[in-house]
Amino acid sequence: MVDLSRRAVLAGSAAVAIPGVARAQAGKPRLTMITQWSAGSDGAAITALGKLFEQNGGIWQHSPVPGFTTDMMNKLRAEIMAGDPPAASQLKGPEIAAWSKIAPTVDLDGVVAAAGYEAFVAPELAALHKPYGHWIALPLQLYRINTLFASKKAMDKVGATKLPGTWAEFNDLAGKMKAAGIIPLANGGIRWDDGMKWEIALNGISPAAYRKAVMELDTDALMGPEVLAAFEQTRKLADWMNPSIAAQSWSVQVAPFIRGEMGMVLMGGWAQGNIINGGFTFADFLSGPAPQDNGRASYIMNADAFIFWQQKAADLQAGQQLFAKLIMQLPTQEMYSHITGSIPVRTDADLSGTGWSDAQRSSAQGLKDAVKEKQVVLSLAHNMAQPNPITAAMIDVLTEFVHNKDLQPKEAQQRLADAIDSAR
Amino acid sequence: MNRQAQPGWAIYALLVLLAAFFLTPFVVVVLTSLRPNQEMAQHSLIGWPHAITLQNYSMAWGQFCIAERCTGVAPYIMNSLLMTVPATIISTLLGAVAGFSVALWRFRGDTVVFGLVLVGVFLPEQMRLIPWVIVLRDIGLSNTIAGLVVVHVVQGLSFTTLFCRNYYTAIPQDLIKAARIDGAGFYRIFWRIILPLSPPILIVCTIWQFTGIWNEFLYGVTFLTGLDQPITAAIIAISATVTTTPQYGVQSAAVLLAAVPTLAVYLFGGKYFMRGLTAGAVR
Amino acid sequence: MPRDDFAERVREAPRRRRFWDAILPALAIWPPLILSAGHVVVFTLWTAWLSFTPSTLLPEAGYVGWHNYTNVMGTRNFHVAYVNLVIFGVCFVVATSALGLLLAILLDQRVRGENVFRTIFLYPMAISFVVTGTIWSWLLNPGIGIQRLVQGWGWTGFRFDWLVDRDMAIYTLVIAGAWQAAGFAMALFLAGLRSVDGEIIKAAQIDGAGAWRIYRRVVLPTMGPIVLAVMVILLQMAIKTFDLVRALTGGGPGIATNMPATVVYDFMFQRGQIGRGAAAAMLMLLALVVVIVPYQLYQRWRGRSA
Repeated sequence: MVDLSRRAVLAGSAAVAIPGVARAQAGKPRLTMITQWSAGSDGAAITALGKLFEQNGGIWQHSPVPGFTTDMMNKLRAEIMAGDPPAASQLKGPEIAAWSKIAPTVDLDGVVAAAGYEAFVAPELAALHKPYGHWIALPLQLYRINTLFASKKAMDKVGATKLPGTWAEFNDLAGKMKAAGIIPLANGGIRWDDGMKWEIALNGISPAAYRKAVMELDTDALMGPEVLAAFEQTRKLADWMNPSIAAQSWSVQVAPFIRGEMGMVLMGGWAQGNIINGGFTFADFLSGPAPQDNGRASYIMNADAFIFWQQKAADLQAGQQLFAKLIMQLPTQEMYSHITGSIPVRTDADLSGTGWSDAQRSSAQGLKDAVKEKQVVLSLAHNMAQPNPITAAMIDVLTEFVHNKDLQPKEAQQRLADAIDSAR
Repeated sequence: MNRQAQPGWAIYALLVLLAAFFLTPFVVVVLTSLRPNQEMAQHSLIGWPHAITLQNYSMAWGQFCIAERCTGVAPYIMNSLLMTVPATIISTLLGAVAGFSVALWRFRGDTVVFGLVLVGVFLPEQMRLIPWVIVLRDIGLSNTIAGLVVVHVVQGLSFTTLFCRNYYTAIPQDLIKAARIDGAGFYRIFWRIILPLSPPILIVCTIWQFTGIWNEFLYGVTFLTGLDQPITAAIIAISATVTTTPQYGVQSAAVLLAAVPTLAVYLFGGKYFMRGLTAGAVR
Repeated sequence: MPRDDFAERVREAPRRRRFWDAILPALAIWPPLILSAGHVVVFTLWTAWLSFTPSTLLPEAGYVGWHNYTNVMGTRNFHVAYVNLVIFGVCFVVATSALGLLLAILLDQRVRGENVFRTIFLYPMAISFVVTGTIWSWLLNPGIGIQRLVQGWGWTGFRFDWLVDRDMAIYTLVIAGAWQAAGFAMALFLAGLRSVDGEIIKAAQIDGAGAWRIYRRVVLPTMGPIVLAVMVILLQMAIKTFDLVRALTGGGPGIATNMPATVVYDFMFQRGQIGRGAAAAMLMLLALVVVIVPYQLYQRWRGRSA
């Protein structure tokens, strides 16, 4: 009798519990997402993020779009036009503001305030993600663009021990390397790479001029002496590049670079990942900030972010909340940066422990210092400073300048200003 | 032109030289696919392999990871088949019907209609992308393989109609007139007279369409997602690495695997392709 | 007698059957043709409408007159693209046709192993332009491809770095394109060669004409229409070239190998200015019309005078 009643009670309670369990399953937070990250360390990082999401009780539905950023944006546009945008998608810089106008986004102010996140994000960065006063996107990782890498073997060959601090020192060192038969600058031939060289040059000459010319598109600054000097420095850089590289990633030159056949690389922080994945060690290269003429720390910032599109389904909305909370947390950002070689967005991240490379520590310290010196700027070549039409028009001029030795700096400067006017 | 005499050695020498030019890329890809990736980093891309491995193939077929999905290219090849085969068959058959009606059945305004169909051959695909997004959305086939089949059928109709129409103009009008007088209708004439005469041009259409649709990239990436994507998308995913060094060995293996169906089509259908063209695909 | 009887029976057939006889063909003819012709008209008109709007990321209504057109035509990209179109168009069509004709003439010589050779020349058509571009980008890269190989053989002065040379890069596209399309040209030319009437050839041979003369006087003139058709098909291929450029040169070095289709793609998708992209597309269509319309008129004229 007792057994029966106990069984009956158990059965009864199970009958009550099961609908509850079923309801919880149906409401499991779900996230649909598209990014361009299908391979390499980016692919590994987004996969790890997905696993973390699932460990926290969500259903992860990520569809990488093969190709480059344009293909991903194409897919995003197609899905928005079809009325079915993903719950979250990769998007960065001023494009966040532009795209937020064509489809409704989610107001993340509540989640952000609850996590107290805004206090830990650099103000220039925050402004990009709350373009009209409300948080609609969240940044995930940061890279410093103006980073200099030097091959240990190449440095030894010319008897140099420390990285050049100003452009004059850099040009000196490059000259020595060329005389010793080393190709001074390892470079890829891709458009944004060429544009990146110019922006590193300009920022190295004067971050203030960079801010006015590139971020504010001030005509006086664009026609000013610093921009002209940047073109001249870029011409020098172009002359020091490997003449036989053709529209490839710079990473195909990692092996010659470490062997000492090429001397230096001006690239974002991810280059460290290229080198380590090529099977080399930290002892094989030096890294630090790119030349900065005024001696104070500066930082050209590149950040990836996710934008959240309004959804009707309850489980997608729950998934968005869960994901947002997740990527604001320090452990998540640290895990992500460990894999890709970036640094976490949060300014309270402590990179002194193991697992962080010197390049990453230097980048994080550089950010802190640059914030103090108010010399943090946004990268042009990586679509942070301007929306795509203007960026593309400017890069057209810059990439042609790098490859066309007949184009004079003065003429290029004029063309740059004209290109910006026509793209507006 | 000595059709009787044996061609001289100069002819053969020239042919072999040209064959070498045409074969070199293929040979390079095959050799690259057999070399381990590390070897490419140390030696040049073109060269005899120092070590042979089939690992690139197994990686490309079943293990290669595109973000979370480590399925290799096998499922994507399946998707391409699911998309290409129906689209090829439908567009070829419809093209034959349309070509017949424009060439032989005649009706008011047929030249104008054919002219418009012809323009479709020349329209660039970039400008059709956004309109197709809207159309697929309105008929509810966004993000499906069926939707992409519709796109390729409608666009392929231009080619197949052109080919078939040029071919059918060789059939004497009197034959059709006689059949009509005898009381045969549209379908009967098509089935009994036209279709039996069509194999060469149908093969030309099939080969052309299969190759074109199989190798198409832009629409495949934009209109399909995730595991539904065609093989062209997967190839791009393998090649488009920005922050890591390209893996030429796996890329080559994947490219070869992806090219097997179309290569097979040309291998077996090449002769019929020639015959179909001989029968007057172009006028 | 039986025919008249039958015709009479048809005439007197119930009206419903005659109705179906008329409708059924229409049902077969019209849908595919309407779909095809319709989509051409609708898409072209829509793109034309789009080119006059201020659309950026998404289509939006509005009217900006010719602004998109003047803007696009004023960019350096556009100038480079259309200069490249002329250079590439001419070189690609001539090189591919010449190569195809050469292959066809060679194969027409009743060589042994014709099937094998034909397959070798035809197989590049089976490969997508993306793959072709990628493979040739490896081969033509001076650092890892042919130049390095030949230099490795000891000929250290050998240079084949067109791919990185701003002025020569466009010709690498010609090489890769000709490699891919020559087989198609060959197929058409061979079909044409083989369709020349054997009797005329025999007659000429009996008259003592040599091989070269026979080719020049008898065979090649009848190939005129085929040559023209091949050139038109190749030309429209050249105008629409996109995948090949993207895979082989990426539009570079710098912007040196931009083509009209890459300009359309750039404006529409990369820059998110679809209004201007539509204008670029309409301009590209114009280029195609300039090629096609004369050809069509020529066809009509030939048809009438035949």
